[in-house]
Amino acid sequence: MKALSLLIKRNCKMFFKDKGLFFTSLITPLILLVLYTTFLGEVYRDSFKMSLPQGMEIPERLIEACVGGQLFSSLLAVCCVTVAFCSNMLMVQDKMTGARNDLLIAPVKKSTLAFGYYIATAITTLIVCFVAALASFIYLACVGWYLSFADVCLLFLDIFLLSMFGTALSSMINCFLSTQGQMSAVGTIVSAGYGFICGAYMPISQFSDGLQKAISLLPGTYGTSLIRNHALAGAFEEMAAQGFPVEVVESIKNSIDCNLYFFGNEVSVGAMYAVLAVSVLVLLGAYILVHKLSDKKK
Amino acid sequence: MENIIEIDGLYKSFKEVKAVQNISFRVKRGELFAFLGVNGAGKSTTISILCGQLKKDAGRVKIDGVDLDTDEDKIKRDLGVVFQNSVLDKALTVRDNLESRAALYGIYGKEFERRLDELADLLDFKALLSRTVGKLSGGQRRRVDIARALLHKPKILILDEPTTGLDPQTRKLLWGVVSELRRTEDMTVFLTTHYMEEAAEADYVVILDGGRIVAEGTPLQLKNEYTGDFITLYGIEEKQAALLGAPYERTTNGYRISIQNTATATDMILKNPEVFTDYEIVKGKMDDVFLAVTGKSLMGGEEK
Repeated sequence: MKALSLLIKRNCKMFFKDKGLFFTSLITPLILLVLYTTFLGEVYRDSFKMSLPQGMEIPERLIEACVGGQLFSSLLAVCCVTVAFCSNMLMVQDKMTGARNDLLIAPVKKSTLAFGYYIATAITTLIVCFVAALASFIYLACVGWYLSFADVCLLFLDIFLLSMFGTALSSMINCFLSTQGQMSAVGTIVSAGYGFICGAYMPISQFSDGLQKAISLLPGTYGTSLIRNHALAGAFEEMAAQGFPVEVVESIKNSIDCNLYFFGNEVSVGAMYAVLAVSVLVLLGAYILVHKLSDKKK
Repeated sequence: MENIIEIDGLYKSFKEVKAVQNISFRVKRGELFAFLGVNGAGKSTTISILCGQLKKDAGRVKIDGVDLDTDEDKIKRDLGVVFQNSVLDKALTVRDNLESRAALYGIYGKEFERRLDELADLLDFKALLSRTVGKLSGGQRRRVDIARALLHKPKILILDEPTTGLDPQTRKLLWGVVSELRRTEDMTVFLTTHYMEEAAEADYVVILDGGRIVAEGTPLQLKNEYTGDFITLYGIEEKQAALLGAPYERTTNGYRISIQNTATATDMILKNPEVFTDYEIVKGKMDDVFLAVTGKSLMGGEEK
């Protein structure tokens, strides 16, 4: 147990001290921030205003809370997965540098090593994501705060679950990688692609029907939607309180993926949690199975 | 002396490549054992099998009486390995590296601090403990590599080309430490090297070629069996060297005569006392043994 905890400590330190791993993990969130500050934020502001019924006034803080909520949810949705992937690249890096051989020279089980990577990735991902969440809360407090205590708690739960999903998914994929080329390829694909397929760069509702159906098969999509739902719940309640028609609020929810549809059927928040939790368990099970099988090869 | 390593009929193939073919040898407790061969001869494969990192196809490996197939963990506790290239985490400090590795052997807390102090004194790296490994020089890093291998006080220290690329001072320090450990702790040293002068210091040498053992014995036995002696004569003319009737070559200050053995040298001196005014007789070198046995030469790590 002590060996495992010191291995986890080593892996966490490696992530934060290895500039390559740490800064690469922040590239996608940084790209997202740049996109929001340069034009996406303005696009969302305009689209909110355009979706309002004619003659209806809306406080600026409420619009900012909606845009900020979208930024918050997009940022955290990509962070939970891309940070996990980069942090978990340590297991590939250890194969390349020979550190894995050095660790396995000792009387330590391969499963201990595997869990060392898994738990360290979960910890580092949670640290980065919770710090990003706190920064986002401060931002929301400045531009327009409508979140309840329950929303904040649920957001932390969403971030936790999505981080666990990112950790499990990256563990499953990274354990098959062993070269610099493979590592770069996966890193690039995840960094560049995940923001699109999870609906962070632009809402899935704006994609074609076929693509929307394909994306609805990916569990990560529901993680983004969960965070978005809870980040904007207060703003939506405020809209209702200010007399916005239900249809308008629902239309906004549809347009920014708060409502997700699986082949035409609306997916409830409870079902989203279930999809995410089951995905984590399935991926973790597959990860353990892969390690059990690879132990026999040698 | 009892055997600490016993290997019998070891085989390992990677698809069509037969890396190790029917290797059998013994290493005695406390001895310096040298394992020689060009790249691809099967040295690293054998070491990887010994360390439990590769599965053998056939054969038996026993370390300190324990069969590799029955208790791999016990064997791992008896082995310390210094890899060819440093495999410590470059982003972490020396202390962090050693702490994480020591934990794998169940060494932590005060026990770790005590061991760290001992090793830092032995290998003179106390001042480096808080330095990042990636910022150390090659020699400094090597000292830490050795400390890592010695953390758990192994019975056998495996040195895989430990001095390649090191400065003479670090090389001297390394061998000083190895000698000290052999003397004080009866540690067995299993060495692979490309430096023949290091192999010449070994108690027993095994030479591998193409995955098979092609020669083994003490350096003296190998020199006697595979090379002759050499007489270097100083201050003579070439015609005098030629008159001796043995193959010769010019050296900086004289001529080097190749002879079969020391008895031939004695006979030659008695017959030609006027030529032998300034001379020395030396045994063949391990380089000559290696060349004679494998038809290949190892020169500072390169196959020639």
